[in-house]
Amino acid sequence: MSLAETLDKPAFDQSARAGTATASAARRRAGRRGPAGPTPLGSVLLGLSFPFALLVAWWWAARLGLVPEQILPAPATIYETLSSLIADGSLTTHLEVSTHRVLVGFGLGALFGLVFGAAAGLSPTVRAFLYPPVQAVARVNVLAWMPLLTLFMGIDEPLKYVVIGWSAAIPIILGTARGIENVSPAFRELGRVLHFNTRDTLRLVVLPGAVPSIFAGLREGLANAWQTLVLAELFASFEGLGYLMTWGRQLFQLDLVIIAMIVVALAGLAMDLGLRWVERRAQPWKRGTRDVH
Amino acid sequence: MNAPFHSPSPQAPATAVPALDIRHVSKAFVVDGKAVEVLADISLSVEAGSFVSIVGASGCGKSTLLRLILGLDLDYAGEIHLDGRPVEGPGPERSIVFQEHRLLPWLTVEGNVGAALLHSGLDAAARRRSVAEHLELVGLEAFAKAYPAQLSGGMAQRVAIARALANRPRFLLLDEPLGALDALTRLRLQGELKRIVAYEGATAVLVTHDVDEAVFLGHRIVVLHPRPGRIAAVLEVPEEARADRSSPAFVALRDRVLELLGVSLGEGRAR
Repeated sequence: MSLAETLDKPAFDQSARAGTATASAARRRAGRRGPAGPTPLGSVLLGLSFPFALLVAWWWAARLGLVPEQILPAPATIYETLSSLIADGSLTTHLEVSTHRVLVGFGLGALFGLVFGAAAGLSPTVRAFLYPPVQAVARVNVLAWMPLLTLFMGIDEPLKYVVIGWSAAIPIILGTARGIENVSPAFRELGRVLHFNTRDTLRLVVLPGAVPSIFAGLREGLANAWQTLVLAELFASFEGLGYLMTWGRQLFQLDLVIIAMIVVALAGLAMDLGLRWVERRAQPWKRGTRDVH
Repeated sequence: MNAPFHSPSPQAPATAVPALDIRHVSKAFVVDGKAVEVLADISLSVEAGSFVSIVGASGCGKSTLLRLILGLDLDYAGEIHLDGRPVEGPGPERSIVFQEHRLLPWLTVEGNVGAALLHSGLDAAARRRSVAEHLELVGLEAFAKAYPAQLSGGMAQRVAIARALANRPRFLLLDEPLGALDALTRLRLQGELKRIVAYEGATAVLVTHDVDEAVFLGHRIVVLHPRPGRIAAVLEVPEEARADRSSPAFVALRDRVLELLGVSLGEGRAR
């Protein structure tokens, strides 16, 4: 998923920190900065530099009148519109409605995805049963199902939950199943030598080993949920950020469209950061790795 | 700690029942539809408390033999008996140190050692005590709360040794346990391993391709020839050789083993 992957950059940093003592000793010799990459602050600044440059270019283009105001409104216009949208509370309402839809849809998708992904990862029979349809469905955009789903579910909230949950569930199923399947055979063998029962094996070998892949699936699912939200709201809604976009497009008020895009991007980013925080909390062995000798 | 302090002599009484008895074991794998024999007619008996080193070139089936003793693979010809009972699967009286430390990255050092005691029948306090004792034995009591990623290779392997010993196994299997370490760490850990195994009184089977290590640690050395793995010779290690790496007995035995392994000593000395 492009969004999830682009935002993945700092994970680099983290895996380097989780390296062996030898690696950290080597980094120590190479100085604080080391050859691994920029410092945490540096990578944040680096990440902000491109959007900032774009903003400056945009501002200049508007100031010099390079692009007609109707097509690309000036940053100042955007700011004014944003202020009034915040002032009359409509932006908050749209954001709340959309966030609620994403959370419910993603929650359903995550629940479904984790359960079926785990079943597929643990049981070859379930995998053989589940994988062909999931793989096939994964190739048909969920929007293509919308006309059909509308006939069954109507056009109200449940439709949006199902469509968002559906798009989120697919990477979560695949990530969870893959994570469990790929648990190291060497560790499974160790479990046999140490007389682990099924519960020990799940708790001490399978689950912790699958955590990174499960979270990769969850984050991709979350990115899918936001993308599908916008499309679902374009299709059938009278509230929400996707609706704000449609409305702005119909009124030829592109400032509304741009604001909705920015808010969607920031909300998605914020929730992704939240998931990454949970992921770090779930893997204390990767956190705070420092030399203890 | 009141662990039995064994100081087994290489000349154990002939009447002793062998603790580990391997009888005519052969093992073949099927590769591309063809059976490839990896072990051919291996017979070996090891008396309780003794340390046997198995040396051989890579691919002579050394590790396979350990997997069979461990009970991870039951598909072979011949018989393996522990105290007169056939091996039917992994059991708590046997443990292994692998070439890689194979510590679970998500458990702390004490968590990894404690994982060996989950089904030991000990209560939580006794398990904690055993973990602490064994970490002390390998000199890592200060690192109990560290994660494996924070340890050096030598330290991680010491944790793996502590884990293998935590349940007080009667049989300790060592699959090139020091093979992945640098030369200095390896020498130091060889000394530690000898002390620890003697202290615990376990019967040990070490698989290695390091001849010095085999001579230094073993009461007996089993030399394997490869493809298929078969016993070329079984040599007793004189106490003098085990005690001192520069003794004439050590050097003589090492040269004898190298010769059996087909290493031409003349060339080695000329370089």
